[in-house]
Amino acid sequence: MSHSKKASIFNKDIERTTWHDETLWFVRQKRDKMAYVIPEFQQLRDLASQIKEHTLSQLDEYLLEFERNALKNGVHVHWAADAKEHNEIVLKILKKHKAKKIVKSKSMLTEECHLNPFLQQHAIKVVDTDLGERIIQLRDEAPSHIVLPAIHLKKEDVGETFHQHLNTPKGEKDPQRLTEAARQHLREKFVQADAALTGVNFAIAETGSVVVCTNEGNADLGVNLAKVHIACMGFEKIIPRFNDLSVFTRLLARSATGQPITTYTSHFTKPRPGAEMHVVIVDNGRTQQLGREDFYNSLKCIRCGACMNTCPVYRRSGGHSYNFTVPGPIGSILSPNLDLKKHSSLPFASTLCGSCTEVCPVKIDIHVQLYKWRQQIGESNALPMSKKLSMKVMSKVLASSKLFSFSGKMGRTMIKWLPYSMTHNKSVNPWAKARELPEVPEHSFREWYKQNK
Amino acid sequence: MKIALFVPCYVDQFYPNVGIATLQLLEKLGVEVDFPMEQTCCGQPMANTGFEKDSIPVYNHFVKTFTGYDYIVTPSGSCAYHVKKHYNIIEQTTAVKEVRSKTIELVSFITDVLKVKELPVTFPYKVGLHVSCHGQRGLKNATASEITPDHDGLVLSLLKNIKGIDLTVLNRNDECCGFGGSFCVSEEAVSAKMGIDRVNDHVKNGTQVLTGADMSCLMHLEGIVRREKLAMKVMHIAEILNGNKV
Amino acid sequence: MSAKEKIISAIKQNKPGAKELPVIPVFNAEENTIETFKQSVKTIGGEVIELASLAEIDVWLEKKFSTAENIVSAIVSSSVTISESSSTELLEKTDVAILQGEWGVAENGAIWLPEQNMLNRALPFITQHLMLVLNIENIVTNMHVAYENISSGAYGVFIAGPSKTADIEQSLVIGAHGARSLTVVLLKRAC
Repeated sequence: MSHSKKASIFNKDIERTTWHDETLWFVRQKRDKMAYVIPEFQQLRDLASQIKEHTLSQLDEYLLEFERNALKNGVHVHWAADAKEHNEIVLKILKKHKAKKIVKSKSMLTEECHLNPFLQQHAIKVVDTDLGERIIQLRDEAPSHIVLPAIHLKKEDVGETFHQHLNTPKGEKDPQRLTEAARQHLREKFVQADAALTGVNFAIAETGSVVVCTNEGNADLGVNLAKVHIACMGFEKIIPRFNDLSVFTRLLARSATGQPITTYTSHFTKPRPGAEMHVVIVDNGRTQQLGREDFYNSLKCIRCGACMNTCPVYRRSGGHSYNFTVPGPIGSILSPNLDLKKHSSLPFASTLCGSCTEVCPVKIDIHVQLYKWRQQIGESNALPMSKKLSMKVMSKVLASSKLFSFSGKMGRTMIKWLPYSMTHNKSVNPWAKARELPEVPEHSFREWYKQNK
Repeated sequence: MKIALFVPCYVDQFYPNVGIATLQLLEKLGVEVDFPMEQTCCGQPMANTGFEKDSIPVYNHFVKTFTGYDYIVTPSGSCAYHVKKHYNIIEQTTAVKEVRSKTIELVSFITDVLKVKELPVTFPYKVGLHVSCHGQRGLKNATASEITPDHDGLVLSLLKNIKGIDLTVLNRNDECCGFGGSFCVSEEAVSAKMGIDRVNDHVKNGTQVLTGADMSCLMHLEGIVRREKLAMKVMHIAEILNGNKV
Repeated sequence: MSAKEKIISAIKQNKPGAKELPVIPVFNAEENTIETFKQSVKTIGGEVIELASLAEIDVWLEKKFSTAENIVSAIVSSSVTISESSSTELLEKTDVAILQGEWGVAENGAIWLPEQNMLNRALPFITQHLMLVLNIENIVTNMHVAYENISSGAYGVFIAGPSKTADIEQSLVIGAHGARSLTVVLLKRAC
């Protein structure tokens, strides 16, 4: 189903759409306040962008440098060309340790690779420990946002889910008490876990470290209690120097949730004695994106979600309307790389207002890339023939003042003389569902000009 | 100074008064204006739909029509932005380069080229400004709220100096209206919701006259205002600056 | 070809042209670093107490955590001994952990806690309440200065306030999985 169809279903519940919009707008406002207070915020965005651009231009070297240093630290490094390889590598490590119970902190990469269902097929229990992720895991849903995975749910929904799964009292909807229930429930899981999986926010070539940012402390709690730590990362997470973190840690949480920094910024460099640490480096379509001149710099993304929070379309259509692991503007420029036809409606799920580009902490020109993907889609066979033909006709008309004047007059005359029920028929003219057509003037400007000048 | 007026296709057909106000305003400011009859459209409708290549004949037609002027002035930030930004796919001849750099949105022309800061009009209404995205984030005629808490910009600076005017303070200063070209029909539900939310912001904060420098945003918002039968009036900035009556 | 070779060769082929790595400039310092730090800690849900010496901490502990049974520390008297080899069962019983922080960052209230100050890597997270002691002269203005002062070590964490979440309707709840409270003990300059 296209984005617009899913979005129109989402919009059937006007109150909820308004609530969703306002909730995310609140996050956007928090972000603004955190950006305004740093005088050099725009300079930091430039620096972050330049560091990432540089890294992408020498990506092979930095990945190898990272591997060398990680190996020196006693960390195992694995490479996966695609999602399948990634999942198999993780499974193999878990099997070696006879690990049956796994705790996982937030990782969009493992979502992208559909790791959870894969491990479950192999009788391994994965518990997502980020509260938002746990909520949607219990509901068997996909995250609707990369930073706020359960942002589409109201506290009543969470209350109902916890009542079913965690035995909270029926009707309990107080976030404080629901969170406490989850804390108790998940402590048990942390204590029992055989292995801990985490994502990676930054991987540092210079030191071979991976940095994970959370607010809940779930990554550290999981990793530091379990015997095995597996950190999974898309290869674009790499940055060159340890000090580069100073730029990114100033930008990430401010852009994401409007906090000055995440509660925990954890630097994992060596495993503790007696434990193992693994890093899985994943491609899964990224090298292909790297080769696209117009789109490679989407790989600068640090997954802050600011473009979602600011996007007026995302806020009013919800993450699930995008039907892709990463929703919102950034997802709409990442997804066509993987399957142009399947995701062909996403670059059109935007007014090209450009707000995404302005909030992006690494200055990805998101709306420019949306426009460019539209062209690629237009040239491919992803759009219906009727649309292609109508564009050809339009082009003919608009390249000739005679045809333009003629068809303009025809159009105006038609709107004028056709009955209102026909021009404003909602099934024929989507414009008219919520809007009146412009009042038709007697003369066009050019007709007036000819008569009066 | 040799000035051409570019009246965008939909303004020509549906909002001739906006074209007339623009022309009269420029003449009042002492500018001699030519309206080349050959003009049609900037080509944006096809390009935004993913058929940039089909726009090429329209781009070439635009360049041919407007070559040789000192400025090509248009009452639409969106169209000006399209010419400046997206005419990069045709061969960059001297004519193309000149037309791209000389195409200018009306308010920028008044403030930056004519250096006019104030207009002798009285407008005793509560006026809500809709900041268009292409004008603001595209042409940089105002700084976006993503960057600064200060509401600035060329349009606002002109409006502020109008006698009797009371400017609406909105809850969201520069959120997109949801028009978005073909978006307004292909994503009808979201587009309408965005427009309704914008209009409601103006209603809540007391706007009597809703204005802006982009007629496409205003066409969309006016469609909602009229459907909802609101008392609000929608006018292009050129109409206010020209001293038109409400 | 191994996955690694495949990925590296594809990157070599596809990577964009060389771009320079920027030098990160020194950004201007805050005027009142200590006050800013204290304000930042409060904003992120932490509490700040100022003591002349660590000896004064007992009075404060009595007041704030009078019912706490297991207080764990490497720098003040400890009711339980915790090491890297301590069992999870024992760690779980920790009511309060008092640990030495290395650097405090004024702009965001974060405190750098390296592994060697943790007793056990899980302790700062599994404890119900966390207290971080910080020498007042170790407060720096921003993350750039902080990173200049630290090294990756084996493991280290910037901790900024108590564990928290806003995953239910964006309502802020303190005490998600980690410490339910964070108290920063600022030790005044020894004269």
